[in-house]
Amino acid sequence: MLHSLLSAAGTAVSVVIAVIAAGLVVFAIVHHFVRKKQGKSGCDCGCSNCPGHCSSCLPENKQEKK
Amino acid sequence: MLKFALAGNPNSGKTTLFNALTGSTAHVGNWPGVTVDKKEGTYKKLSVPVSIIDLPGIYSLSPYTPEEVISRNFIIDEKPDCVINIVDATNLERNLYLTTQIMEIDVPIVLALNMMDAVKKAGDKIDAKKLEKEIGLPVVEISALKDEGIQELMERAYKAAQEKREGTTVLKDSRLAHVVDDVKIALKGKNVPSPLFHAVKLVEGDELEVQNHPEEVAMVEEFKKQFSDDVFEGDFEAMVADERYKYISAHFSGAVTRAARTEKLTKSDKADKVLTHRIWGIPIFLVILFAIFHLTFSGDLLYMNTIAGWFNGGAGFAYDVDTGSEVLNSFVAVFFTADGVSTPGAIVFNLMGFICDQIGGGIATGLEAAGAAEWAQGLVNDGIWAGLSGVLSFIPQILFLFLLISILEDSGYMARVAFILDRAFRKFGLSGRAFIPMIMGFGCSVPAAINTRTLVDEKERVMTNRVIPFFTCGAKAPILAAVCGAIVQVWNPGIDAGLMTFLLYVFGMAMAIVMVAFMRQTSMRGEVAPFIMELPAYHAPQFHNLMVHLWDKLKHYIKKAFTIIVASAIVIWFLSHFSWEWHYLADEQMNESILHDIGSFVQWICTPMGFGYNSPAMREVGWVFVVAAVTGLIAKENVISTFFVLGNCIAAASGADGVLDEDTMEGWQAVSFLVSETGITWQGLISFTVFNMLTVPCFAAAATVKGELPKGKFRYTVAFWLLTSYITASLVFVILSWWWTVFIVAAAAALVIAYFILRNRGKINLSRKHKKEVQKRE
Repeated sequence: MLHSLLSAAGTAVSVVIAVIAAGLVVFAIVHHFVRKKQGKSGCDCGCSNCPGHCSSCLPENKQEKK
Repeated sequence: MLKFALAGNPNSGKTTLFNALTGSTAHVGNWPGVTVDKKEGTYKKLSVPVSIIDLPGIYSLSPYTPEEVISRNFIIDEKPDCVINIVDATNLERNLYLTTQIMEIDVPIVLALNMMDAVKKAGDKIDAKKLEKEIGLPVVEISALKDEGIQELMERAYKAAQEKREGTTVLKDSRLAHVVDDVKIALKGKNVPSPLFHAVKLVEGDELEVQNHPEEVAMVEEFKKQFSDDVFEGDFEAMVADERYKYISAHFSGAVTRAARTEKLTKSDKADKVLTHRIWGIPIFLVILFAIFHLTFSGDLLYMNTIAGWFNGGAGFAYDVDTGSEVLNSFVAVFFTADGVSTPGAIVFNLMGFICDQIGGGIATGLEAAGAAEWAQGLVNDGIWAGLSGVLSFIPQILFLFLLISILEDSGYMARVAFILDRAFRKFGLSGRAFIPMIMGFGCSVPAAINTRTLVDEKERVMTNRVIPFFTCGAKAPILAAVCGAIVQVWNPGIDAGLMTFLLYVFGMAMAIVMVAFMRQTSMRGEVAPFIMELPAYHAPQFHNLMVHLWDKLKHYIKKAFTIIVASAIVIWFLSHFSWEWHYLADEQMNESILHDIGSFVQWICTPMGFGYNSPAMREVGWVFVVAAVTGLIAKENVISTFFVLGNCIAAASGADGVLDEDTMEGWQAVSFLVSETGITWQGLISFTVFNMLTVPCFAAAATVKGELPKGKFRYTVAFWLLTSYITASLVFVILSWWWTVFIVAAAAALVIAYFILRNRGKINLSRKHKKEVQKRE
């Protein structure tokens, strides 16, 4: 009984790990595309550190440039 | 919402004021040209919220560079409710030159005399009321840095914004007043806004105005024909500038009372005598750079242990401390090892490694106790945590490096370096101004590429964008640190990791200069733009600014680590543990994995660079280096992360499981392990590092460079990166493996240089274009 409970717990932990791992990959991809859709660049360099003040990120500035 | 624009000369403190007004943390630096695009924020301490726009610094409203165009267009076209003209009060007369131009626009203006604290400290006085009366604009004394006078400034700007203002000019009593008035009336008749400003610019011969108002050009030309002047010989732009300075000196300079100077030279001048010395300037810069890398990467502080060894038959005073407790040993090794006393950079690195080890050990024990499946343990320990900790452990060290570079930037020294390098750069086809974006490349290539907008010449902008990735960014630094650390530990070449890392950084810089020289002789021929730069006064770095820089960098790293790096580590682990038939593979079956097949497919290309099919062992598992280089295209931190993930898998496969698990979470140990398993040579490792330093940067940087380049240039730029990295890494491998080949390479280089010299003297030309021209002439 105890053995089967431990085994089930082990399986549950493994499943949770697999779900979290898959979630992290999906999150990274979705995060990237959402940022892109918002008109932000993928630089992630930190806007305040950017001499362009993220003109590359802000959609209105991008349009102005065009 | 009301809109106030901040305009002024470069390095007059606009962004400092912007941060004080809006609570932002925009990048502030002690050199001209930090801001290259406008930035918006909100001031909320008035009865209504006000939008504040920080504009790039300009010396005049006749723009030369892209970022100067942004400022001019904003003030003229966007019609802000008020322009707050920030004036560096320590350089009043020169700063007022821009003021006399903004005054000509029909817009409310408030003059902010910034840096009044510095003026008072120097014992000088500025009579703001007298200046206000003379200039006819509200004048407020402020210190943006000390947050003084800002509320008053905003109140007066708000008041000014309530009233309409018509442009006025200081040329009203000059010889040009008549023509300016005539053109102004003509433009006013056509309902052109700010007719006075456009009239003056037309008289100056401003290209944009000549294009926009062709009818009035005839009127100006007619006047110019009748106008005789021996001094300026028809150069009306110079004539207008002269009139402006004459007026400033006659009417505004009286408001300034300078204290009698007992010493002829200021402290800044004295420091400059040494730091910008025409002979010693560059060596001093290299020594400072070396000191930075030594303090960051070396394990032997001030080489004390090495020097002690010279006097003691090779044995220094340092040794590995054995306290009897494994955890305590690891902790002591953070500060003191057999290499010597750790440098500050090494201490923070070791400390982070120690913390990562403890966390990793805890995770591994927890998963085992929870009864997680073997694959799940592998995924977390060898995949997620290995990849993540590989990057995390480098964060404090890279932050320390960034702190030291920020101190140099903030003190005003970096602007001097641009100045002292100008003479050397000019010989290779670049101006010293290009050094500023290049040095920014040590932090991140993205802001560096954006900063190239400050360069006047388009060819110079293209070349600088192409070579910026050669300046090792914070993401590439862990590769250098790990590889150099491994080489020192495995082969003991007689130099320490700090010096080796420094030499690789210098190699990247040297390659940038060599490739610029090459481009100048081939596809980017032309004159080097003149370089004029205002040297800011030295000042002690602002603690707040430094912390803002570091916090920003830290956020960037953490965000990247928990998104792209973790995701990449999981994908790499997955691809290395699954076959094409989607069967799970144990660690020892990794050579049947999807990743193995992909890596092996392209591995042969890397043979000339020393990490391809260079030995049977490399043929077997050397593909990990290819995979690491490819994943580095997503983010360069991935290279080290991949080493950890695949290193752990190889360790498990070879029965050495545990070697990288608990007490060996440092980058160089991951590389050392791969060395022992793959048999890669140190020459191959250096070549691998060189390839990563010079090849296509991460996707984000490449996309930014694409945005900064003229249309159609990006594909050539990618080809340039690929070819340069491949050829250079191959040459480095060949020369390091067979030293005598250096003579062949040197001879080939000498031939190329000789050809360029002879061609430039008109004695030889092998280009097809030239041959066709000769045939045509014949």
